[in-house]
Amino acid sequence: MGVTKIVEIPVVTTEVPVGPQHPALHEPLLLKVYAEGEEVVKVEVNTGYNHRGVEKLCERNTFYRDIFVVGRVCGICNAVHANCYVRALEQLLDLHPNKRAQYLRVLAMELERVHSHMLINAVMAEIVGFETLFMQIMLDRERVMKAKEILTGGRVLADYMMVGGVRRDIDEEKRQRIRELLLKLKPRVEYYRKVFEEDETIVKRLVGVGRISYSEATSHSLVGPTARGSGVKIDSRVSDKYDAYGEIPFNLVTRSEGDSWARMMVRWDEALESIEMNIYILEHLPSDGNPVPDERRLPRRFPPGEAYTRVEAQRGELTYYVMSDGKGQNPYRVKIRTPSFNNIINSAFMYIGYSLADVPVMLTSLDPCISCMERVTVIDLEKNTRYRLDLKQLAGGKL
Amino acid sequence: MGVVDKHSLLESFSVGRGVVKPSRKLYIIEPGNVRRVFEALIEKFGYGGFYLSTIVGTDLRDEGRIRLDYYIVLLPEEETVVLRTFIPRENPVIDSLVDILPGALSGECETHDLLGVVFRGNPFLKRGFFAPRDVVEKGEYPLRKDSGV
Repeated sequence: MGVTKIVEIPVVTTEVPVGPQHPALHEPLLLKVYAEGEEVVKVEVNTGYNHRGVEKLCERNTFYRDIFVVGRVCGICNAVHANCYVRALEQLLDLHPNKRAQYLRVLAMELERVHSHMLINAVMAEIVGFETLFMQIMLDRERVMKAKEILTGGRVLADYMMVGGVRRDIDEEKRQRIRELLLKLKPRVEYYRKVFEEDETIVKRLVGVGRISYSEATSHSLVGPTARGSGVKIDSRVSDKYDAYGEIPFNLVTRSEGDSWARMMVRWDEALESIEMNIYILEHLPSDGNPVPDERRLPRRFPPGEAYTRVEAQRGELTYYVMSDGKGQNPYRVKIRTPSFNNIINSAFMYIGYSLADVPVMLTSLDPCISCMERVTVIDLEKNTRYRLDLKQLAGGKL
Repeated sequence: MGVVDKHSLLESFSVGRGVVKPSRKLYIIEPGNVRRVFEALIEKFGYGGFYLSTIVGTDLRDEGRIRLDYYIVLLPEEETVVLRTFIPRENPVIDSLVDILPGALSGECETHDLLGVVFRGNPFLKRGFFAPRDVVEKGEYPLRKDSGV
């Protein structure tokens, strides 16, 4: 029987909305994926589901109260946000914390980096289909959370930074306990790194997926492990040497592959570096005075001026611009630029040419943090009623 | 080509100098020249020679103008420098960079949505990129000092 009729099926571009609520996403973001068959041909990033207006909120509150506002921009990286803002204030006031306070700040930030990198690697394991690996990594991550609780008093939200120092000191017993936890954690992280390096399924899902070249990373302003996975040697800890980073030995981790796997491996290597740094800090903690300054003696008035500080958050370079007009108690302008803001919005080019099933993997490899990116939110669910609070209510504090 | 070349290029366009704490060099540039500076940077040093870190827009209500700061990081030295320009508050229009430098997309979209600056030639500008619907419907730009938000 010969062919009697040939029917050509035209390739139609299908629009596949991924998000804002989607099983593969943990946070509200819409990726409008246009696909021809299985191949992604275009991606649009839609934002704004969760905008809280934190910059405006900062203008409405005093310099000191803003330390707690910025600490709530993002749960995972609250210590780095507070550190960056507090250092901007210290620049304005020309204040310098003592060495012990600087070391303790670095300790808190590096503990945060370890648990953040473990979290996103766990999420990646889940996306790839290894739920048990996800559970295992999360279980070991608890050790870091415990260490952070011993240091700052909170598992997640630290509120540890203050102008001129930190909020609490550690004694010998706490120092030993944190050190023991880290020493127990280290072989576990080494093991997970090996799993990501050698496991056949993980390697097949990640290697060669979502390649970004060096010049693409810089022209699209990508930062952090995303850029370092493409061989871009950027790390604010190395270049700005803020707090005690100039004195603590560590290596800048980069890889040249530029794919999703390289980004995850950069994170594992950085987590190991951070554990080493923390152990170094605990063994070399200076004792040059009380790291907790007397709040009553802090200056109440801020001179006019502007400061721009950078910090290497877990997801990349985080910057704060703080401007004081010298007239009141509130900052004139606070501008926060988080790493996810660049990494997520500017990376739509990366998805093109890959298959639909790779989209969640590629997005996860960027370590997306929507609360960081949007700094905005306003839906309240109470007794099954939905309220929407506008920016004015939020900024005025009339909740 | 070292960092000195990059600074001398920026200096050739600048009409004023300054410093943002902690010791970030600041070059004041005419708004009409901003695009030309980036074109020159790309032409001379390539995309690997720098990246645009962020765009900070500030509403200077008393002076009747909006200040735009482009924070760029020079590579491989990783030194942050600031390009500053001023545009009138009543008609805040400046050339977009998005076609020559895709990394400007996030900063331009945000500055447009929250401050009302129009980046001429950027096809992706839209209200509601970040701002909630009620603010957009009122036609207000939240980060303007007189927005009432």
